[in-house]
Amino acid sequence: MDTLNNFINGTIALFGDPLGILIFLGGVIGGMLFGAIPGVSMLTLAAILLPFTAHLSPEHGIMLFSVIYCTGVYGGAITAILFNIPGAPENAPTAFDGYPMTQKGQAGKAVGAAVTCSAIGGTVSAVIMMIATAPIAGWAISAFGPPEIFALVFFGLAVASSVGAKTFWKGWLSILLGLLIAVVGLDPVGGIERWDFGMPYLLAGIHFIPTILGFFAVSEVLVQVEKKARGSYSAPKVGVDFPSLAELFAQKVAVLRSIVIGFFCGILPGIGATLAAFMGYNEAVRWSRDSKEFGTGKMEGVVSSETANNAATGAAMIPLLALGLPGGALTAMMVAVFQMHDMEPGPLVFLNSADLVWVVFAAMFFANLSILLIGFLETKTIINLLRIPFQFLAPVILLLATVGAYAVRGLPIDIVVMFIAGIVGFFLRRSGYSVAGIVLGLILGKIGEQTFAQAMQMLHFEWSGYFSRPIAITLIIAGVLTLLNSIYSCFFKKST
Amino acid sequence: MKNLRVAHIVEAAAWLSLALLLFVNSFDFNQEIEIYRYGASAWPRALLLLIVVAAIGQLLGQWLRGDSQGSEMLGKASDDGAERVAELSDHNNPKWLAWTFLIMTIPFFYMNVPGIVGDWLSLDKAGLNQAKLLTAAVLLGIFLLAIRGNHIGGMLTLPLLFGAFLQDFGFYFTAPFFILGTMYLMGERRWKNMVMIGALVMGIMLALFVSLLYVGLPTGVISPFYEFGTGIVNLLQ
Repeated sequence: MDTLNNFINGTIALFGDPLGILIFLGGVIGGMLFGAIPGVSMLTLAAILLPFTAHLSPEHGIMLFSVIYCTGVYGGAITAILFNIPGAPENAPTAFDGYPMTQKGQAGKAVGAAVTCSAIGGTVSAVIMMIATAPIAGWAISAFGPPEIFALVFFGLAVASSVGAKTFWKGWLSILLGLLIAVVGLDPVGGIERWDFGMPYLLAGIHFIPTILGFFAVSEVLVQVEKKARGSYSAPKVGVDFPSLAELFAQKVAVLRSIVIGFFCGILPGIGATLAAFMGYNEAVRWSRDSKEFGTGKMEGVVSSETANNAATGAAMIPLLALGLPGGALTAMMVAVFQMHDMEPGPLVFLNSADLVWVVFAAMFFANLSILLIGFLETKTIINLLRIPFQFLAPVILLLATVGAYAVRGLPIDIVVMFIAGIVGFFLRRSGYSVAGIVLGLILGKIGEQTFAQAMQMLHFEWSGYFSRPIAITLIIAGVLTLLNSIYSCFFKKST
Repeated sequence: MKNLRVAHIVEAAAWLSLALLLFVNSFDFNQEIEIYRYGASAWPRALLLLIVVAAIGQLLGQWLRGDSQGSEMLGKASDDGAERVAELSDHNNPKWLAWTFLIMTIPFFYMNVPGIVGDWLSLDKAGLNQAKLLTAAVLLGIFLLAIRGNHIGGMLTLPLLFGAFLQDFGFYFTAPFFILGTMYLMGERRWKNMVMIGALVMGIMLALFVSLLYVGLPTGVISPFYEFGTGIVNLLQ
């Protein structure tokens, strides 16, 4: 009952505030459009908006990002189905069967299935999130001290490195680069200057906002320059043909399986919606009696991928809000929003800012539901938006990023830092590294070092002290096993 | 050695060099902290050690397994297309990389050379501003010549050049050129469209950030760019 009451209160707070409604709608539409337009992604939008959330209340800032997350994950399905161009990596498996359905003249049905199943996957995930997060946070308050938080960060980074990049080693190098960037500036224990190279600017550390803007917004534009994306597509005439209840019921097993897969992918750090979509699709192929029909325009392929990626969104909020651990790039940016408001995500948020949590939960629930309505409108408008050539979109993105980087502290050098990060991101991405891994390392680096130092002081510098803390040692062993398994896979396991 | 290419060795060497450089520099802050036995350098040095291990692991993995390390599905899921595009493009050869990195040093020349010359010749503020104007003009000319036939290199350098010029010449003067330059380097050649869209983008940006949100963008410090920037701000606010 408490959950229901809190949800109702969150809904009233969300829709009782005109600015809240405006931000909610902006997030829903913005996430969907940036998810849909090839060459930009919901991460580009989030990076651009990040500096400006300093002017919003924490509720509105976090709510905006959570809504962008829900609708951005869905947004690229339309272009994946209609043009075989996934708007975002999360929708890549949707194209495997969605586009063949379009070629068979079933585009409306494919879009309808994507819209419906995205809404179902996301909404169910949001409901589980609402039920599960508070009890986990309540348990974490008493069970988590610095050794546990450090162990959690270690485990999170171990999992993220194993799945984030082309190879395990590149995943680790990406995260280590992020951790190294976080070292620059004053050390968290003694305040000693590190790697400032005599530059006063570096004394305060490299600010995460220009870095995030560079790695996501600028590097994305630079990659697109190389792709020479022109955005000129021949637009088929299409509407939304929602699947009938009987057709939907026939997909019940695929939907349920993808919800479970998506949810677990979302809850584990580093995996997120993209891998959820691929795993959802792969499992659908594996369990199907007509597995050979996949790839030729089978609705189950669209259903599995779109349900799984949206089911990951609610789940990803659980470790963020209950434990303070971001699992991916967008949730890492949400940590940045918390930090800009002098707040730390984690179990104490439930005690200190319960209103914020429930506004965010309500917003995510309604954002997923709104996919049903907005998805229909989007299908009509996106075809026109795709006609905007990328050479006209690129300067807008770069200028918005410039203003965003400058607005944080009013330092022109932040703009240069952002562009350097963008160029570094460009070269790393074309070599198979993960910019999401770098940002995760950057955000978790300070927390990791600080909690490690606190933990060692607490344990009187006895490493064996970890063995007396079951949660910490379990997480460390799990992290080490993940790393060992990845190393084994790199050298000995047959590629699958 | 069939899986290993020069690029892989260069990549590993780059990581190892970075680790070595930062390790040597870590002696600058290798200080004890009374309440913390490991001191300020233990954490960064542990990260550097892991970088060395990962760089060697990446090289060994590439040598023994080539591109088939780990799961194909993970590879697909983490693929954003950037690597494939780079492979298909002709922008992966050492000559292109060397030329592009050379072009990318131009903005850093602007950020450092006028200051050094100013100190050397003991220039006053007006003299320093003149030195900056002259340096900017020369470097802009070199940039335009250097990017002929290398638009990707140009596109990588243009934002840095924009960032470098911003403080002295202001956002309001440099942004329109940046917009036009970006469009041109991305292949647009219809000047009428470029000017119209550039004006539209600039108009929306100014209306949103200067008139509505009162974001104080750099106005520049060198005359007459400073007067131009402040004039626009006064007009819009």
